[in-house]
Parts: sequence; structure tokens; C-alpha cells
Amino acid sequence: MAKLWAIIKREYLERVRSKWFLIATFFGPVFFSAIIIVPAWLASRSKATSDVYNTVILDATDTGFGHRLAVNIAGDTTIAGRMPVVKLVPPSELTAAESVATRQVMRKERTGYIVVNQQTLAGESARYAGTNATSIADMAQIKNAIRNTILASRLEKVGLDNEKMKEITFIPLDFSTERITERGRAGSGMASVLFGFAIGFLLYMSIVIYGQTIMSGVLEEKTTRVAEVVMSSVPTDSLLAGKVLGVGAVGLTQQIIWIGTTYLLLKLRAPIMAKLGAPTVNFSLPDISLGAGIVFLLFFLLGFIFYSSLYAAVGSSVNSESEARQAASPLMIMIVSTGVFIQPVLLNPTGTMAKVLSLVPISSPIIMPIRMAVTGVPALELAGSLVFLAIGCLLALWLASRIYRVGLLMYGKRPTMKEMARWVSYAR
Amino acid sequence: MTEYAIDIVNISKRYDEHVAVRDLTLRVPKGSVYGLLGPNGAGKTTTIRMILNIIAPDTGSIHIFGRPSNDSKITERLGYLPEERGLYRKMQVRRVLKFLAELKGVRGSDAEKRIDEWLVRLSLKTPEKDWGLAKIDELSRGMQQKVQFIGTLLHNPDLVILDEPFSGLDPINAQALKDTVVELKQSGKTVIFSTHLMENAERLCDSVCIIARGEKVLDGDIDEVKEEHGQRNIALSLEGDGMAGIATILRDHSLVKRADDSNRFFEIEMAPGADPQALLRRIVESGASVQRFEMIQPSLHQIFLQKVGATGIEEGMSGNG
Repeated sequence: MAKLWAIIKREYLERVRSKWFLIATFFGPVFFSAIIIVPAWLASRSKATSDVYNTVILDATDTGFGHRLAVNIAGDTTIAGRMPVVKLVPPSELTAAESVATRQVMRKERTGYIVVNQQTLAGESARYAGTNATSIADMAQIKNAIRNTILASRLEKVGLDNEKMKEITFIPLDFSTERITERGRAGSGMASVLFGFAIGFLLYMSIVIYGQTIMSGVLEEKTTRVAEVVMSSVPTDSLLAGKVLGVGAVGLTQQIIWIGTTYLLLKLRAPIMAKLGAPTVNFSLPDISLGAGIVFLLFFLLGFIFYSSLYAAVGSSVNSESEARQAASPLMIMIVSTGVFIQPVLLNPTGTMAKVLSLVPISSPIIMPIRMAVTGVPALELAGSLVFLAIGCLLALWLASRIYRVGLLMYGKRPTMKEMARWVSYAR
Repeated sequence: MTEYAIDIVNISKRYDEHVAVRDLTLRVPKGSVYGLLGPNGAGKTTTIRMILNIIAPDTGSIHIFGRPSNDSKITERLGYLPEERGLYRKMQVRRVLKFLAELKGVRGSDAEKRIDEWLVRLSLKTPEKDWGLAKIDELSRGMQQKVQFIGTLLHNPDLVILDEPFSGLDPINAQALKDTVVELKQSGKTVIFSTHLMENAERLCDSVCIIARGEKVLDGDIDEVKEEHGQRNIALSLEGDGMAGIATILRDHSLVKRADDSNRFFEIEMAPGADPQALLRRIVESGASVQRFEMIQPSLHQIFLQKVGATGIEEGMSGNG
């Protein structure tokens, strides 16, 4: 036991001391805060920008529609510079006026121009051209303003006075969304998808990075023959176990630091957003219980054991880094193909595909936590997933330890699959 | 108590169709320096790995100091230096050594003390520079070899196993290694090493075992081996360029079985029953001027060639037999 401890300790301390670990551990939270803050900031931008004010209205209606539209776009006319410029244009000169306005936009003097004419008055069509034509929020704002102006002109025709008109057409609607699960309301839909994505991405990256760490660690011990020295002191399985546990502990340390700092960043989010000048959006986090947190860590650990033992087997069977990369490609395919399914599962977390993927040990350590983050998962499915994954881990460990103890002592050419299958049957 | 450090009885190890070690029996006396000789692929490394309990024999038994080799207390009394060497490249020297010591059951402060002693002893720690605080890959190759050697001996093992210890050593480190082997023997330790360099074995070993193609060819005390397996040979050298003149004499198979040109002298193995004096007379009669004509013991190299044959070396499988 003391010797197993020595191996775990070495694996843990050497890696935690490395620059790479410090950098990754520090940049992790920066990355996550980017994931959490940037979308929120972008969401705040979904309110129209000041670009809409810097436009020209080419009014060919000859009814003062352009001016009323400008007032409508500006909203609050007391603020200077918010009124779009209105140009009254006879219908026959509209084409020429559009060319002039286009050049203005090209010279960046204006963001764009709006064309209103008889068709607009009839409620049939209006046109906009500008650099921000792809901005959904800006376009929605302009379209709304045009609709409201048409509505106002029609109401005026029926004989409504100005005050009444404003009263009727003023609808400052704030539309917020919230998701409902079996457990009740669970924060905003967007937050929950983002959270699920963050969890999936974190698990995915951790498994890839730490799996490869184990692989190159095993390879180093093999090529330097340190493995033989260690194996002459402790049983081979202890070396493998010490490695998996030691590196697993490093991964766990990193995740706990990441989760802890991310939690802190979330707490500090409001002040940060305020500094960025973005209004604080109502963005409550999914409510994750301690139990769910423990289940997440359990999935990380089991998934890590499953993949890292297989990575260790690959590392023991090859003789160089380049051979290792090649030999590890089946594992890489297994993980990457799981990664491909992250988005579909996020979109439909209760579908058959999501259910199947969260039972198969190859994908369950990544897919199941994602499902748990975005929707309620029945206890039976959760238990099944964990049981299958645990069985998968035992199988992977059994297979890996058999390949490992033979592979570490075999130098020379890279073994074929057939040879590796035979190693499994070797006695020690 | 047993008088053997290692007692191997009828061990075999087979990989698929390839038999790495076949029915090998050998005994290493306590306190001796023992050479395991053989061409590449003869089964030396496999044998050593079985002694170290890295792999288990298919059949047969191995006892070390009277205990089965898989006894965990026994592994702490063994020190092992593998053939191709290296250590964790990015790790600090002291930490590597401490790790290796812990694997052999040496505890913290005790390990620190021993590491200091060894570093000073092999001049890796001087008042100017303490290489113990450097990382392994900052060390020269020679220094790395020293560190690995410390790692092998740090826990003060009773049985030291060195796999091809001389390969890749410069003459200075090779000499240091030989001195250490002698020191170990003097302090009562048992040393077993494998090599295909017969000269080192001849100079250092009390006993040897020659194996080829997984089987034992001969073993025993080195003087007895020479006595038993070699005829008395003759070292011959002539003044000037006289060698050409006696070529016909050396080709006479009633007198000479084989003559091995060692450049500075010929090592001549007499034909069975032939009289060395008759050979000397023939040479003198041919008019050559004899500078040296001496009855010598056959070298281990000669015995090796004779028993294993040149083909045994060439056919030896490369890698890790």
C-alpha cells in the first residue's frame, strides 16, 4: 500500500507542479467566464443598437410619414442625435436619391437608409439598405417603428387625437423566457443549454487531455525502462492503478478549482457586466443540487477511468509518440464521435438518441451529465447509466492491465491487433 | 539458511512458438560476482526479469535468499539496473531518487540522508553545484547514468542485478562501475550481471553461466569452467614478419585445431593428442625467430566461441530474448 501511495503521490505532485497545470487551471475559469459572460453580453445587444438612429429616411409619400417615422424610431425625442434625418423626395427622383444615400453609407456617414412610399402607406412594403441589415434586433426595431407609424396614420384617419393614439400604440413589451422541467421552473432556457454545453465540453476536454497525459506517461516509463525498475518493486497492476488514480486526482483537483472559481465568477457576474456597460439581464442559473454535483464528479471519474485505462494500454503497446498517436486514433474516434452528438442531445435531451447514448459506456460519461444539466432524468435511467459505465470500467481495466503488463516489456515493432489479443491471454 | 543468493530450478518461459528460456537451472552463490553471458536474444533479459518477478516462469521455481521470488519482502533486497537506461526526464534528481527509494521501502528522512551521501560520493553534489536540485534532462549522459546507479543501490540491496551494465559507458564510468562491483562484493553483496562482453566477465566474475537460444550451455566457477572446457592453448608471436613462413604449419590439422589471429599474437588451439613441443620444433625448424611461445589458459571468449559457435551469435534474435 505504501508503494502504491508512492506512485500515486509522484504522479500527482509532478503534474500539479508543472507549468502546464498552472496555466490550464488559471485559463480554465477565464474560458468559462467567457462562455458565461459573452453570451449574456451578446444577449444584451439583442436590444437594438444606436445604429438605427444614424439613418436617412427617404420619404416619397408627401404626407409627413417620414417625420412621424423618425420620431417613432427615436422613441425619446428629447435625447439629441437620436432622430434619423428625413429627406422628402418626389417619387420620380427616388432612384437618384437612393444612389446618393448609398454613397453616403459607403462613406460611412450613415448606417443605412429607409425608403417609404405609397406602398408603405398602404401597409404593403418598405425598404431598408444599410451596413447593419443582418442585425436582427436593429431590423426588428425599424420594422416595428414602421408598423406603428402606419397604424398611427390609420388611426388618425379614423379621427383619433394625438394623445389617444400614443396611448394605444405604445407597447414597450419585454419578452423573457423560462424553461420548465419535471422539477419545476429551472432558470432561463438559454442558461441551461449553455450550462449543459459547458459541462459536456469540460468532460470532453478533460477525458481527451488526461487520457493522453496517461498515454504519454506510460510511454515515457516504457522507453526509459523506468517501468521495469518499478515493476521489479511493485506488482504491475499497482503501477497502472497508481497512474490512473494519481492522474485522476490531478483532474479532479483541476475540476474542483474550475468549478469553484466559475461559481465565484458567476456571483461576481453582475458587477462585471455593469462594468462592461451592459444592463444586467435576468439570467438565473440552473439550480444544481449537491447530489447532482456528486453525480457529475462520479461520471467524470468513471469516464476518466474507462478512457485512461485504455489510453494506458495503447501507451504500453507502442514505442514512440508518433506510433502512439496512430494507435490511439480508435479511442480518439470514440471520443470525438461522442462530441459530435453533444449539440443534438442538447436540442433534444429526452429523445431516443440521447437515451441510448447515455447508456453506452463509450458516450455516457459525457452525454448523461449534459442531459442532467438540461432536463430531468428518471432515476432508473441514471442508475442504469452508472451501472453500465461501471461494468465498462471494469472491462476496460481488465483488458488494459493485461495488455499493459505484456506491452511494457515488448520493444521493437508495433504489435498488430491480433498480437495484442493474444497478449490478453498470456499468463503473467 | 541457504548458501545461494539465487536458486533457479528448471524454469521455462515460452511466448507463442518462441521459447525464450528452456529448462534453465542455475545457482548463484551468496557473495559472488556472477556473469550471465550469451549472445543477444539468448534469454538473458527474460531470465533476469523472472528473477526480479517482473514476469513469472511458465514452469519451475525461483528462490532468492531461500524465499520465493514473489515474496514482497524479497523485492526490497534487490537492486536492478535495466539495460537501456533513462529516468523521468522532467523530474528533479532528488525527487526521482526519493521515489525509487520509497518503492523499495526506504522512508523519508532516511532516504534524504542516503541521497546526500551518494550524491557527494559520486561528485554530483559539490560545494559549487548541487546537481540533486537539477532536472534529469539538464544532466549529461554520464551524470544520468550515475543517478540511475544511485537509484539501484540507494536501498542498500543484498542482491544487485545489472543488465548489460557496460553498454554505453565511457571508459571512466566503466572503470567506476567495475570498482563499485568489487566494493559490493567486498561488503558481502551478491552481484549478477549480464553481458556479451567476455573480457569484462572474465575480469570481474567469480562464476559464469553461458546461455544461448534459451538454454544453458555451461556454468560454474570461472577457473573450473576454464579447466573443464578449454584445452591449454598456446600464445605465439614471432619477430618481424615471420608469420607467413609458418602458415603451412598452422594449417596442419594433425597439430593445430585452430589458430586465432589476435593481431599481436596467435592463440593456437592444439589438435587432440598433439604435442606442443612438436609444434615448437616445427616452427623453429622453419627458421622463424620465436618471440613468445607460452601455454595459456583459453580465454572466456574462446570458450564462448567454441561452445556457442559463431552461428549462435549471428542467429541470436535481436531484441529481448
